[in-house]
Amino acid sequence: MDVQGRQLSETVWTKLDRKAGAVVELTIRQLRHKISTWVVLSLGAVLMIMLLAFYIDAVRDGFEPVDNDGDSVDEDRDGYPLGQERKYGTSDWDGEQFPGSGTYIYEGEIDWNDENREISGNRTWEGMAYLESTWIDFDYKGGQWDYIIDWDDVTVCPDTRGVVFEDWMPDYSTACQLENGTYVTNGKFTAEGNLSVPMNYFLSWGYITGIFEVPKDPKEMYIDEDDIDWDGSGGSQGIDDDGDCLRIDWFTQNDVNGDLMWWQEPHNPDSNGNGIPCDVIWVIDPETGEVISINADSSVDEDPVDENYVGEAGHRTFVIATGKIAFVLLLGLFLPLFLSLGLVRDETERGTLHYLLSKPIHRGEFILYRVLGYLVVVSIFVLFLSLFMALITSVIGPGDSLVRIGDFPVWLGIAFTTILVLAAYGSLFNTIGLLLPKYGVYLCIVIGVWEFAMGFTTLISPSSTVASLSVSHWGLQLIDSIVLASWPDTIQFSQMSYAFSLDTGLEWIWSPPVHTLDTNNPYMGIITSVVVLLSTSAAMIGIGSAVFSKREIM
Amino acid sequence: MTSDPPAVMLEAVSKWYGEVIGINDVSLAIDGGVTGVLGPNGAGKSTLFKLLLGRLRPSQGAVRLFGTDPWDSTSPFRRVGYVSETEPLYEWMTALDFLTTMARLHGMTREEAKNRAEHVLDFVGLSEVRHKEVGKYSKGMRQRVKIAHALVHDPDLIILDEPLHGCDPLARTSIMSVIRELGNRGKTVIVSSHILEEIERITEQIVILHNGRLLALGNLHAIRGLLDKHPHRIMLETESPRKLAKELISEDPIYGVRFPEEGCLEIQTGDLSAAHAILPSAIVNSGIKVTSVENPDDNLDSLLGYLVGG
Amino acid sequence: MKDELDISGGTTRMESAFGSGDGDEEAIASVAQKAEVKGSIYEQTYRPWRGSLGPRWVRNYAIFRHHVYGLFTSKGHRYYHPMVRLTILIVFLFSISPVAMLFLASLGGQGGFGEVLSRMWGINRYNLWGQVLGFFPRNLCMWPLLTALVVGGMISDDRRNGTSAIYFSRPVNRTDYTAMKYLSSAVVLGFVIVFSYIVYYTSAIVLNGEGWAFLIDTFPIFMGGLLAGILLVITYTSIGLALSSISQSRFFAAVAFLAVIYGTKMVAFLIESTFDSSILYVLSPYDGLANIGQWLVGIESNYDLPLSFSVVSILLINFLSLILLTSRVSSLEVTRE
Repeated sequence: MDVQGRQLSETVWTKLDRKAGAVVELTIRQLRHKISTWVVLSLGAVLMIMLLAFYIDAVRDGFEPVDNDGDSVDEDRDGYPLGQERKYGTSDWDGEQFPGSGTYIYEGEIDWNDENREISGNRTWEGMAYLESTWIDFDYKGGQWDYIIDWDDVTVCPDTRGVVFEDWMPDYSTACQLENGTYVTNGKFTAEGNLSVPMNYFLSWGYITGIFEVPKDPKEMYIDEDDIDWDGSGGSQGIDDDGDCLRIDWFTQNDVNGDLMWWQEPHNPDSNGNGIPCDVIWVIDPETGEVISINADSSVDEDPVDENYVGEAGHRTFVIATGKIAFVLLLGLFLPLFLSLGLVRDETERGTLHYLLSKPIHRGEFILYRVLGYLVVVSIFVLFLSLFMALITSVIGPGDSLVRIGDFPVWLGIAFTTILVLAAYGSLFNTIGLLLPKYGVYLCIVIGVWEFAMGFTTLISPSSTVASLSVSHWGLQLIDSIVLASWPDTIQFSQMSYAFSLDTGLEWIWSPPVHTLDTNNPYMGIITSVVVLLSTSAAMIGIGSAVFSKREIM
Repeated sequence: MTSDPPAVMLEAVSKWYGEVIGINDVSLAIDGGVTGVLGPNGAGKSTLFKLLLGRLRPSQGAVRLFGTDPWDSTSPFRRVGYVSETEPLYEWMTALDFLTTMARLHGMTREEAKNRAEHVLDFVGLSEVRHKEVGKYSKGMRQRVKIAHALVHDPDLIILDEPLHGCDPLARTSIMSVIRELGNRGKTVIVSSHILEEIERITEQIVILHNGRLLALGNLHAIRGLLDKHPHRIMLETESPRKLAKELISEDPIYGVRFPEEGCLEIQTGDLSAAHAILPSAIVNSGIKVTSVENPDDNLDSLLGYLVGG
Repeated sequence: MKDELDISGGTTRMESAFGSGDGDEEAIASVAQKAEVKGSIYEQTYRPWRGSLGPRWVRNYAIFRHHVYGLFTSKGHRYYHPMVRLTILIVFLFSISPVAMLFLASLGGQGGFGEVLSRMWGINRYNLWGQVLGFFPRNLCMWPLLTALVVGGMISDDRRNGTSAIYFSRPVNRTDYTAMKYLSSAVVLGFVIVFSYIVYYTSAIVLNGEGWAFLIDTFPIFMGGLLAGILLVITYTSIGLALSSISQSRFFAAVAFLAVIYGTKMVAFLIESTFDSSILYVLSPYDGLANIGQWLVGIESNYDLPLSFSVVSILLINFLSLILLTSRVSSLEVTRE
């Protein structure tokens, strides 16, 4: 029996447990009684619900066939999609030009200062002239450029403006008629007759050729028209299903000098340089069997069937982006800023600290329990949110199975990472509040800005060295590692996104973990990140405890 | 069972904050009963308590609580209850909640803690309002909650820093009776105050601090007796002070007179009680009208004045 | 008594502005003591002060000055934490750092290093835009930090300490109070953000010895950037003050401001990159400002969001913040909370 008369069976440890439980419980109840806690937590929940709303909306729109290479558009509204216009070497910027619309071939011109300024014939003309016509093609539509005269709008030339071609000239792509029946032109037209070009003006002429009927392809023909042809093994694969890489039977248009017309991109069927035109090089890691690199010739497998790839990759992008940005960067940083700085500091300021310090609890332990109490609150919150997200997205997400069981490790990993980050920040801010009672809050704000900036840097460039001096960097790295460990083929999806220009965002939101000590093993990445985060927390609590134990409290 | 070390022991303790001295070379031991720590504001009472509670580290000397240094170890705190002079409480908690939590911080189980809390609340007379939030309590009730919190783990030493400060007379009386009761139960109780009368009503055993120095220690009456050998003053207000002075100066205990202002007579004596014994008859005999008799020395300030200046 | 405060010597700034010192000297509280010694009733007659009040703008200017001068000296003015002053100084120095580069460039002379420097830091649309609205590092680190630190305590301190009583017990109405708080925060922010921008433009012209033609060419761009900067200062001040008015600690207000700016930006960024929808940029004050700023300065917008959406969103954000601010201030109780 000791002085208190309690039983000897109560060891020091059970009492320690009780004290810890009491401090933790007190902390939780204190947090629960602050309005700001509820405001912050509900904003976090609102954030997640908003993300889910967008996700659900995206899923409902479906992983509908997406035109990944963008060749189904009809920019100039002539009814021919870009893919078809490319095939015929016409421009999709000019509605007057389409497959079979013909080509204007230049023949000659009357220059600004040529001697002879008269010409006659049945041709296509372009420029400024007096036209005494015998025949005019009122329906003329062809040619490369706008500038075509609309003959329905021709009016009598006004005599109030003075002498034509001296005091004034007709507006761009119009013509007018003089009293004697002669037309004054400024534009392009097809006509037969005599033309005279005033001094200092210019006229060129030529003819239109290659007018033929081409049936308009439906847009759908250019969506999902070139699927990824991969049998799962490495080496040279891929078939140019739509023929836009091989370009057999393609028409190309050249200008006067024999060069490609300006809208036509120069084409290299072997951009990956392996000597085989129009193929895809797949490199597979012999140990893991995972694709580690894909190098495709341009325009091969560039518009895959979306359900198979984009759906899955998009889903993963959402999970990773939510984990990184919403959980680690936003919740991970702002929850501690709002909730942890005051854990001990508020007690000092309000003068209630002595209730806790006059108890037989070591001050170092006290700090630890306070941080633990805060951590319990935020961990439950984060765990709840992540499971909520996991449940909903794994049910409505893409895939054949009813529930995407494979998502749960990732969501739990995200929660785990966030909790580690919350612990690191929580102990960091708490310690700063203890170390610098006067300047602490300002330093915390500065650190908050720094952490956010470094997190942002890590998102954009994961291997940044400066960024590794921040907690957020290690949190984001941990998510990268966890994703790779739970979904080993993410690297393949990321490679596919990059190689086939799939617009999933996966390749920028996720990249293989950096800190694997050169093993490229995701588990090594997990270990290093966890060690860094845990030791940050431990070091901060240690420093805080050491300082606080030796602090004289007035 | 070996003899326990005293509850509180200070050996040549000094504490200074930079240039300012809080406690200057104080040695004392307190064990058992109620002890009043007296001293004007800034005398070092709070510094003394903070040293005892391990919140401050002595610049010199050694502080021992039940034989252990409270700066290094928190173990003596399981036998100490402390009531601070600061006001704040966890406003949102009920009294029962607060006390239960505080008891659990001493390592009790939930059950134990709750029973103790109920018991202590009963002791301080708050059991009826135990489910009310502390924020809604009156000043006196809050003070009693704070005392209850210090008692919840049944400590052997209870330290109360200015427990009567700012309380109304009713609350004072009830708090005083609580403190006396604790003393009767054999606890060591240390109460600080800057008002002598308050302490007088609670205990006879006092420690007087002034400017960080220990001025006196022991029974209040014994100290007073010692002080009686110092000159004391009695102020009389009368129409004709000089006439009265002539009458009184012949009396034995009185050895001097002064006329500080118009209509005032100050007599000086070496034995206060003797002087008071003869004063009424002497005045009546003289037939001079006296409007008031005051004893300006019967307060802490003058007590201190004597102790410091002689 | 020796402890008595010496209030006769000198008039404080507040007093000279509000005139509370005048007249008091003559207003004698006549105290009549009755004959009996034991217990007495003091009959007190106060003569109301009938001096003339300083004009309203003088009073308001005193509030304004109180906050702005506090940046330079705390004596008699608002107390700014040394860390806040230091941060403002660092941010200001950083934001005028291009001037130093231009100075170096002007030393370098024609060709070589000097030309590289002046090309990098010289005046063009992108540099003028970046000076006020560039994301990294200005809007990622500096402006939000600056606003959070300066605006955080503007009203929350008054709420916490009950110092609003100092204003409301004088002839200052709540509109004046809010307006002056707003103006002084905006001027402090404007000093760093807009003033540094003007310094940058001016010094670039002076250091490079540019002529009228250059001035005429670049002046419209400069004005566009100036407008964008002013809009940024106004918007950040509105949000910051609104948050300050709803919180009781400056820290909470400051962190809430950072959370608003960063949170909305990151979420909009997340949604855009994942779901290809730029609609959430309407929630983000920074992106709204950047979108408008790109239009004002005349560089190509990198937002899919239509400009009109951003304009409406910025107007709404300001409007809602001001409503929140005024309603909070009008219900502000003159007490410690």
